[in-house]
Amino acid sequence: MKSLICGAFAAAMLLGSGALAQDKTTIRFANTFDGPSAENWEPVLQAFMAAHPDIEVKSESVAGSGAAVYPDVLRTSMASGDPADVFFLWGGSIAKPFIDAGQVEPLDAVFAEKGWATRFPAWTVSRLQQDGKQYGVPFHGQGMGFFYRKDLFAQNGITEPKTYAELEGVCSKLKAANIYCASTGGKFGWHVMRLVDFFIEAACGPDVHDQLNALKVSWDQPCVVDAYGRFKSWIDNGWLVPDFLNVAPDDARIPVYQGQAAMIVEGPWFEGALKQNEQDSADYGFFMPPTDHEPSRYSAFPEQWMIASGSKHKEAAVTFIDFISSADTQKAFPDAFGASATIGIKPDCTANPLSCQITDIVQSDRPAYPPTDQAFEKELMDSFFEVQDSIVAGKLTPAEGAKLFQERAEAWKAKS
Amino acid sequence: MHPDRQPMAEIASNSSAAVNTRARSRFTRNTLTPYLFIAPAMVFYLGFLIYPMFVSLYTSLFDWDGMSPLVEFVGLNNYFNALFVDEVTRQALLNNVWWTLGALTIPTVIGLTLALGLNRNLPGTVVLRTLFYAPSVLPLVAVGIIWSWMYNPNFGAINVILKSSGLGFLAGSWLSGFDTALPSAFATYTWGSIGFPMILYLAGLQGIPKDYYEASRIDGANVWQQFWHVTLPGLRESHVIVLSLSVIGGFKVFDLIYTMTYGGPGRVTQVLGTWMYFQSFQYYHAGYGAALAWIIAVIILLVAIPYIRHMSKN
Amino acid sequence: MSSQRATLRTSNIIILTALILLSLLWLLPIISVLLTAVRSQGDLFKSGIFGWPKAFRWDNFVKAWDAGDFSIYFKNSLFVILMKVPLGILVSSLAAYPLAKMSFRMNQPIFLFLLIGLAVPIQVALQPLVVMMRELGLSNTLFALLPPYIAFGIPLQVLVMRGFFRQIPSELVEAARVDGASELTIFFKIMVPLSVPALAALAIIDTLATWNEFLLALVLISEKESRTVPIGLMQFQGEHSSDYTVLMAGVAISIIPVLIIFLFLQRYFVTGLTAGAVKG
Repeated sequence: MKSLICGAFAAAMLLGSGALAQDKTTIRFANTFDGPSAENWEPVLQAFMAAHPDIEVKSESVAGSGAAVYPDVLRTSMASGDPADVFFLWGGSIAKPFIDAGQVEPLDAVFAEKGWATRFPAWTVSRLQQDGKQYGVPFHGQGMGFFYRKDLFAQNGITEPKTYAELEGVCSKLKAANIYCASTGGKFGWHVMRLVDFFIEAACGPDVHDQLNALKVSWDQPCVVDAYGRFKSWIDNGWLVPDFLNVAPDDARIPVYQGQAAMIVEGPWFEGALKQNEQDSADYGFFMPPTDHEPSRYSAFPEQWMIASGSKHKEAAVTFIDFISSADTQKAFPDAFGASATIGIKPDCTANPLSCQITDIVQSDRPAYPPTDQAFEKELMDSFFEVQDSIVAGKLTPAEGAKLFQERAEAWKAKS
Repeated sequence: MHPDRQPMAEIASNSSAAVNTRARSRFTRNTLTPYLFIAPAMVFYLGFLIYPMFVSLYTSLFDWDGMSPLVEFVGLNNYFNALFVDEVTRQALLNNVWWTLGALTIPTVIGLTLALGLNRNLPGTVVLRTLFYAPSVLPLVAVGIIWSWMYNPNFGAINVILKSSGLGFLAGSWLSGFDTALPSAFATYTWGSIGFPMILYLAGLQGIPKDYYEASRIDGANVWQQFWHVTLPGLRESHVIVLSLSVIGGFKVFDLIYTMTYGGPGRVTQVLGTWMYFQSFQYYHAGYGAALAWIIAVIILLVAIPYIRHMSKN
Repeated sequence: MSSQRATLRTSNIIILTALILLSLLWLLPIISVLLTAVRSQGDLFKSGIFGWPKAFRWDNFVKAWDAGDFSIYFKNSLFVILMKVPLGILVSSLAAYPLAKMSFRMNQPIFLFLLIGLAVPIQVALQPLVVMMRELGLSNTLFALLPPYIAFGIPLQVLVMRGFFRQIPSELVEAARVDGASELTIFFKIMVPLSVPALAALAIIDTLATWNEFLLALVLISEKESRTVPIGLMQFQGEHSSDYTVLMAGVAISIIPVLIIFLFLQRYFVTGLTAGAVKG
């Protein structure tokens, strides 16, 4: 009798486990979420796994160093033949090597099938193409500009500048009040680059800027020297928090938190960082740097989801991306989807007024230029950073810097 | 004499001869034995150290991105570019040379001084010795993070202490300055590396016979002369080790630079170890990176081979 | 005579005081890590590093351990150590035995060959190891780290164990051989038990070196599940670089075990270093 019961029990277990043991597909999801973002994404992943019980999502985050360390990690996993299935990436030249090495799955068919082309603003979709093929799905539309301390401005009778000359006036007034105009962090180069990019756009104008980024015209020309000159003047005038060349970008926020500096170039993620660092975002305002050109462009870039060509679970990956980029999902989890590229998704404007302000701009018709580190591959970009650092340190004059970078660009073109 | 009764000595020598023959014959029967013992180590060593070494020698002769098939043979072009064309390699090599010269002198002098001080049987010697050695056992990544933070120009401990103790004029840009970045990183290295020379010299000092000092004192030598003529020469073994290991370490340096400065500002703190990593794993010039790695290896081998030969002769 | 003793004593006091002050200075960075790790961010900015914390925030450590995933990194580093250290020392000791106690023609050349590894920088094996691990199907696993770690540890370990073995009287070995013991038995019953101090020292040195290894792990491992402590710390710095209190708690977690091992076992550590390096 007992053995019969045992046998029946065992059989039931086997049957039951058979039903449950449909093979779970596990997809690896590589991203750059920092601590707070990862927390915000937990419920999104849970919701997806609840809606798709046969798919498990494992999130792997590499944060903080921007486009410096995360691509290294991606490269390692791809070189190993065991890549993450879905991965986050910036666009432009950062994605190019991966695409060129055949590590990214083209998604034209998927776009057509899922009707994704209408889900995002056109500029985000087209920026994620290469050689006519669609390689990425827009995740963020990031616009960057000056976040500033409203209280420091108010105390010194300063209003948002509308021209470059007014901006210089703002900095002079702040300097007179013993406050640094802006704070920046030079480790890895890309945070300082945001300022340099603005000076290039302001000095050279939209058309020449684009041609410079495409290496179609020489960098050794007057407007570039002018741009570097403006950069140098900000340093010589004491408008930037000094000794920043090895300060990590995140650390550059601290002087602004402590009221020693008034402005910092950041994007919509900054509002979340303020909350995380226990700062009151009501103290902050935002404006786009004035370039004195018509149209007045701003620095912006899409961020994307890609699927690894070596992934063994591409269908599950597509399902996952479809879920996380849909307006319904994003509306349900606003904390995880600030600065979304999905049309119609705006952050809660009462809770996040500044991100809302930026999203309005990003989802509008106002044209944007890419940050230089998405125009040049890393090897050439490191030369760009070298020139920018050398000018800061006074090792190169603006004219010498422009000349040196042109030499490097020509050597780079000759090699490739 | 009775034929069966041999002198004890003869018996002894006969049996030991018998023992020797027996041992030797057992031994010669198993000439494979030493090789069998060595085999496991050899498998790992050949497979995961020697073989990769020679693969990268081979790939250094190609223009290779690290992923595609090896097709573009360029001979010694990579080495030529590294030594004569690439300015960054020259800067990196120079940085390694400075770093190594520093490593040869500063931690060793400090270590020797500490050893001299600790060699006096004072109370708490063991504790002090531990305290000075402790930084050496920490992961370099942690050391790099701690010191980067201390070097922060605004709120790092160093500038804060200098400013608040009236020495504000000494406060500097440390890792952010073109001229101060490498020395600052080196100072961190020194913090973590005085322990080993100190221990080595302590052991060496304890090996110098006390009579030498007695003899020289009788001859009228003062403290300084004793140090110069007895102590220093007596530490010759220790010097050899410290010198060789400092050079080897100085050219291999990676962890601290990667963590603290990432080669910057600009490229002023690039060293061969990090430049090789950037070239191979970020710029996709794996062939060039391999050439850089071999340049590091050749330099180290040139210095280390005398030490190794010396070690193997004992 | 007594005045000589008196001068000796005062000079001793001066030296002792100088040493104590210097050692405190040397410890300053570690002290500041601990002082920062136990407070809140706001407290840090208000009172500075060296002000006494207003409230002790032990939850920084919990945050680093859980949300910061140090629990995973710890587990991985421990795994690598438990697999690598005993195996590596065994393999090296086996090789050291014939080099010390048997005479055969290739003895000296083999020893020299193994020693050359001391001077080989890991950079020269990096890229090929990546490719090798990919082909062996070990990429991104902790197992990828084991063979190279063992291989690069062999030169020093063989050097130290051979030195130690040579100090064991040959008569013991000869006598055992006479009694018919196999070489393997001699190894395990005589050589190993008599070498416990050296083995212990090597185990400690090797454990510390493995715990701290960075470059190879950086290149071979990317998956979060497989990260070791140094790699984890690197990512952790990125995630929390402006939250210094939690960051320093993470740093503390990665250095406290090492410090504890060292503090309690430093006697063996020191003898091992000097034995291998000096006596050869």
